[in-house]
Amino acid sequence: MLSLRVALRFIAKSRFQSLFIVFGIAVGIAVQVFVGSLITSLQSSLLDSTVGGSPHVSLEPAEKGGVFAYTEAIRSIVQDTPAVTAVSPQIVVPVLATKGAAAVPLIVRAGEFAGLDGIYKLSQRTLEGDARTGGDGIVIGKDFADTYAVAVGDTLPLALADGTSVEARVSGIFDLGVQAVNEGTAFAESGLLSTRLGLAPDEVNVVETQIDDVFSSPTVADEWRAALPQLEVGDWQERNTELLTALQSQGTSSVMIQTFVIIAVMLGIASTLAISAVQKTRQIGILKALGMSDSSTGLVFFYQAGILGFAGTLLGLGLAVGLIALFSSLAAGPDSGLFPIELQPSFVAFSAGVGISIALLSAVIPYRSTARLDPIEVIQGG
Amino acid sequence: MGDVIVGKGLTKVYGTTQKTHALKGFDLNVRKQEFLSIIGQSGSGKSTLLNLLGLLDRPTEGSIELVGVDVGGFSKRERATFRNEHLGFVFQFHHLLPEFSVRENLLMPCWIGGQSSSMGAARTRADEILELLDLGDVRDKQSNDLSGGQKQRVAIGRSLMNSPDIVLADEPTGNLDTKNTEQVYSLFRRVHEEWGTTFVIVTHDRSIAEQTDRIVEVRDGRIEQDVRNEHLAPSGGRSGTP
Repeated sequence: MLSLRVALRFIAKSRFQSLFIVFGIAVGIAVQVFVGSLITSLQSSLLDSTVGGSPHVSLEPAEKGGVFAYTEAIRSIVQDTPAVTAVSPQIVVPVLATKGAAAVPLIVRAGEFAGLDGIYKLSQRTLEGDARTGGDGIVIGKDFADTYAVAVGDTLPLALADGTSVEARVSGIFDLGVQAVNEGTAFAESGLLSTRLGLAPDEVNVVETQIDDVFSSPTVADEWRAALPQLEVGDWQERNTELLTALQSQGTSSVMIQTFVIIAVMLGIASTLAISAVQKTRQIGILKALGMSDSSTGLVFFYQAGILGFAGTLLGLGLAVGLIALFSSLAAGPDSGLFPIELQPSFVAFSAGVGISIALLSAVIPYRSTARLDPIEVIQGG
Repeated sequence: MGDVIVGKGLTKVYGTTQKTHALKGFDLNVRKQEFLSIIGQSGSGKSTLLNLLGLLDRPTEGSIELVGVDVGGFSKRERATFRNEHLGFVFQFHHLLPEFSVRENLLMPCWIGGQSSSMGAARTRADEILELLDLGDVRDKQSNDLSGGQKQRVAIGRSLMNSPDIVLADEPTGNLDTKNTEQVYSLFRRVHEEWGTTFVIVTHDRSIAEQTDRIVEVRDGRIEQDVRNEHLAPSGGRSGTP
């Protein structure tokens, strides 16, 4: 415990230097936590806005444009996959929507509301009316509604490929954030079209799913390809290679930024502790002459580093929480254009571990130089 | 009374390409409770000898036995422990720790020895030593707030804390004025007489050495003369061993 006592006295005696080290570590940890949380939240926000409202892995018939029976066997394979968070079996039908003299092409995605809502988050993205379509209801996109002056409650005749027509009632207007989708896609209950198309109740032409970790979609897709060789399995990553590259680049840059912050913090602490060791050479020499062992004198610097690292990390986490709260309050303002940053406990714990670990690692240099110190050099030097 | 220091054929060579022989086959026996000085000019090898006897350095050749223990084969850690338990040091520079109070500086050898069970007793002993050294009033002050003479007295107090068998003092009054020098030697003498501690004092000052009971004069790494005080020959002379 003498090593701890000496370390505390060294810290107290050089209090300004100690404060500088603590602030140095605090700034490093605050930047690490803030930048890390910012990039993680940015990635999460981007993922949410890009692939959060679209399918991640889908099942389609091998023959383009055909249908397949969504049997109990297929259903259990899909639903027994732990990663799956939403499933939506759909009939996807191209139609011509008639509004006045205009006949506008529309893709109608018909399925159970719960499934559609799980994939496309319709209930959160409905601007007017109700996302629950009911029997003859249909939800259309904002741009389609604006362009063709269609309002909730209007009747929209839909012409099918076989020349027949279905009268649909507009029950809601959505905004999925993508103009092409807002102009050309509509959602309906499966009952609206399946009977008219002469399909059996379990016949669909796509089963769309979402999974908890979007980056694990290739694994899920490969599993399903093996289990369901009769079907075509689609993976969002194969269809969005550029987006995937952008997201992966962002993740890599995040790791690089954090690595450089950690290196900068480590160099800062290591150099200051090394200076501290040089400044305390006389005291260490005296303690050794009085009989203190090499390991005990070296331990002084580990305690010093540990205490400063702990204090700096704690202060840094406080600073980071403050910064994130400030950023989030700015983001909460109307039309701020910012996204909220979420502080993740696991990331905070990781950063705290990094802060204390690098402080301790920085003590290796003074430990080694202290072990080599010959007390005679100090005693004769005066 | 038995010997507490037995040094045989002590040789110390510094350097590898250009060798400097600081000690050349030095023999020295010191009896328990002796009050001994080692004198010699600068570079004569007296401090080197003290470093060897204090286990701060190892001889190139020769053997050392301290309080009946052959310390030649000791590891670095064993030497440190032995220093703490059996030896007391007083250096030319006081070498106090500015981060600690006067009393804490005295307690430092006990803390290093890890005698936590007897910390209360150590505190009492520290206070007794401080009273003996006339430092009772400054026990809670930082060492930097003391005068040069007071600092050296604190260093003497620290050397006595673990009741050492031998106190090794290297030019202990080198930085003190005449009054403080006298005070330090009176203290050494008093501790020696009251507690029976063995003192080995290295000095270049002949008048100070004359106050000790036995004087060993060193020249060029060898004993020039080793005499009882009353038989001390003028510098450069040679006399028989006691």
